[in-house]
Amino acid sequence: MNDHKPNMLAPALIGGAVAGVLSGIPFLNCFCCLWIIGGAVLASYLLAKDSPVSLTPGDGAIVGTLAGISAAVVDSLVGIPLHGLNVAVMRRMMERLSEFADEMPSGWENWLDRTGGGASIAMFFMGLFISAAVFAALGALGGIIGASLFGKKKAQGADIAH
Amino acid sequence: MKKDQNTVLMTWLLVFLGGLLWNAALLAAPALRHHAPRVSAMIYAVFSPVCHQIPERSFFFRGFPLAVCGRCLGIYLGFSAGTILYPFLRRFSRPFLPATSIFVLVSLPIGLDTAGNFLGLWASPIWLRITAGLAWGSVLPFYLITGLYEVLRLFGGKLRLKSTGQTK
Repeated sequence: MNDHKPNMLAPALIGGAVAGVLSGIPFLNCFCCLWIIGGAVLASYLLAKDSPVSLTPGDGAIVGTLAGISAAVVDSLVGIPLHGLNVAVMRRMMERLSEFADEMPSGWENWLDRTGGGASIAMFFMGLFISAAVFAALGALGGIIGASLFGKKKAQGADIAH
Repeated sequence: MKKDQNTVLMTWLLVFLGGLLWNAALLAAPALRHHAPRVSAMIYAVFSPVCHQIPERSFFFRGFPLAVCGRCLGIYLGFSAGTILYPFLRRFSRPFLPATSIFVLVSLPIGLDTAGNFLGLWASPIWLRITAGLAWGSVLPFYLITGLYEVLRLFGGKLRLKSTGQTK
């Protein structure tokens, strides 16, 4: 976290875009939160690659948080064209759930129709805000892991990371 | 030195409470399904981008699946367990990152299990998924606390500089 390090925005945007696209595709989301953590690790790796000095865990946390937030934005944008597919997947899941669950709440079939009928802009931004908070937390974690894995530079006189 | 310890304590407390809230939300989703279905649906929706939420791979509470699958539950429970263990293993001295070998060791089971299931090589039972998640999750707070501690120290230092009218 000093002036000798390159800008964090580009690595964060790239890592976030990769994580957001991968987590937004229904078939690939079986990797759960690992995509977000992986995207933030990638952001840390890209930052470390261009940095002449070692990354600190704090650097990793910041770039990872930014990557998480951009992943949330990309995930939401990817979700717009895939909305129909997501609703279909959700419907299948709810139908399977109804086989497993003892007793489903009344009107659960209509719940999907309501959400599938086109979410409002306010709901979209509220969802984006909550996703950003969740993704930022996971991203921070990934960024710190990335900094620990790729952030160390071989001892140099100019290394003033600490 | 005392100020450093206070920052570590504050960071730990933040991570501990965050983990507690996160895990409480996982339980709240099925628990509120009847009494507050809208809140419950919102919690399920919040976790849907970070988990596939497939019922067959999830634990159930009061007749409904938790907000995340067994593997994710393991990660988050392991995270909270690691946070509770943290003060006993590291006390509140200046935090440092775990050795890379430890991270690789705990990542192997979850990595192999996830890859094997994705490629269709095998279908792990839920107890294996949660165990792999628990092992991996338990080291994560050691990373998060170290990173957050540094961020808090950096921003705390900047705020102190501003309040005393000093600039870099």
